[in-house]
Amino acid sequence: MILSVDRLNLSFEDKSGRRKILDDVSFSIEEGEIVGIVGLSGAGKTSLLRTLNLLQPVDSGSIMFDGQNIVGLNESKVRSIRKKIGVVFQSYNLFRYRTVYQNIAFPLRIQGISRGEIRERVMSIVSELGLEHRLSAYPSQLSGGEQQRAAIARALVMDPKLILLDEPTSALDPRTTGRLLDLVVNLNERRRVTFAVVTHDMDVIKRTCDRVAYLQNGKLHFFGPTHEFFVKIENNEVSDFGSPLELERSVLSGQKRLLRVLFWGERTHEPVLWEIAREFDIMINILYGKIEELKNGPFGTMIIAIDGHKQDQFIEKLRDSVFFLEEVR
Amino acid sequence: MFSQIFKATLETLYMLLLSGFLATLFGIPLGVGLYLCSRSRRLKTLYALLDLLVNIFRSIPFIILVLLLIPVTKNVMGTIIGPNAAIFNLTIAAIPFMARLSENSFNAVPSGIIDSSNSMGLNKWQMVTRVLIPETLPDQIGNITVLLINLVTYTAIAGAVGAGGLGQLAINYGYYRFQWDVVLYAVIVLVAISQLLQFTGGKLAKGLRK
Ligand SMILES: Nc1ncnc2c1ncn2[C@@H]1O[C@H](COP(=O)(O)OP(=O)(O)O)[C@@H](O)[C@H]1O
Ligand SMILES: [Mg+2]
Repeated sequence: MILSVDRLNLSFEDKSGRRKILDDVSFSIEEGEIVGIVGLSGAGKTSLLRTLNLLQPVDSGSIMFDGQNIVGLNESKVRSIRKKIGVVFQSYNLFRYRTVYQNIAFPLRIQGISRGEIRERVMSIVSELGLEHRLSAYPSQLSGGEQQRAAIARALVMDPKLILLDEPTSALDPRTTGRLLDLVVNLNERRRVTFAVVTHDMDVIKRTCDRVAYLQNGKLHFFGPTHEFFVKIENNEVSDFGSPLELERSVLSGQKRLLRVLFWGERTHEPVLWEIAREFDIMINILYGKIEELKNGPFGTMIIAIDGHKQDQFIEKLRDSVFFLEEVR
Repeated sequence: MFSQIFKATLETLYMLLLSGFLATLFGIPLGVGLYLCSRSRRLKTLYALLDLLVNIFRSIPFIILVLLLIPVTKNVMGTIIGPNAAIFNLTIAAIPFMARLSENSFNAVPSGIIDSSNSMGLNKWQMVTRVLIPETLPDQIGNITVLLINLVTYTAIAGAVGAGGLGQLAINYGYYRFQWDVVLYAVIVLVAISQLLQFTGGKLAKGLRK
């Protein structure tokens, strides 16, 4: 475990009094995983991210990082902790009067690392991120995607144990978003970089996250594997992220028994349904089906109508073979 | 007459540049101090004190400040007339001005840049020298330009109380002897200096902005 947060509370004072921003939030991040911190705007995601590297002091709670509680450490200890955590802010925050090269080299220069080594480390990162041709440009001359990558490079160059990304795709077009997500997954797989990603973008969750922490008005409503988060969405327990499919009444009216089946992992692509249906001689009518490619495996949703004599046995056997099954009617 | 104007111009430039240099040298660190104190919970009272002091010095009209400073000037500089005494007065008046201007520029650095610098684990000294100063450099050039242009006026005022330079020349020839041509030349040179400062400062700042 690289980071674990226990009963974190944070409130801000404003005109209308004290407002609770984080309410007893607990979760953890394992080494080498990507955790998504998701929720609507104003849910407290950025505030949570800022507490993780102590930019935002908390009211109470503990943050264990690398084996020690980092809440309440003195300033010089805090500084050394921060050097191990890279942050890419939503607004990138590149230094305005430094070139891309100087921006990326900056965290190394302040540590007094030799110019030769700095050059080597910067060059290896910029070639990985495709920024070689922009090294002498200033931030104001870069596109949003390039600024984003420069900010990621600046975070990566320190070889941090953990990188915090705040809404990394909110300002990017779909193609640039795709490239960025590939990059994150790639860095995670090849360099074993651990990420915490704040987002409200479903694509980011699907393609990058191993686990999801779902915040609603400062409370953690869910923390668990990504596919379980999708189950929650399908079960209509998370309304912030689109609603599950509503089938047309006209389609439903003629049908007998309706089942909603969720598949996850290897089994998604196996003909489970077909095999069991044949065994019990059940007729299946597929009314709806989709498969999402999540990072840790495919996730399928299906709504089927069934007909036949051994319906109960069929349902029982199917329930054991799929991730989730419920009778809709 | 022209050799006198030339000599007075050199005196004015000498006062201007040296006091401008000293005011920058002390004013910017004071500005940094103001900025840091204003952001520290522990140093809130120190900030209130410095803030008040800066406000007081800035609200005393220069000519009155010169009068008030007479004993100090005499002690420190050994005299109260001539360019060097004037430089002392000008510097004292300009330091709080420069401090306030630079504090405002530091405050205008986007909070995100401060956040990301903090997230890299910079200490206070690195924060000042590697972030605050570089990130405000074009603005500070602008501040120094404003400072110097203000000092042009102040040197002329100082000239009225024996500092030398173009101000004294104008007073001596215009006020006491009604030689308006000398006043006119002095004014032309003063305006030219201001214009040159504005032009150079503007160019420099523009060159630094990206
Ligand atoms: N420094 C602050 N002072 C007061 N309120 C704040 C501050 N920062 C954030 N907030 C409030 O906290 C809430 C959560 O904000 P934020 O963490 O930015 O949400 P999110 O990133 O999920 O959109 C918002 O209502 C916001 O107005
Ligand atoms: Mg946010």
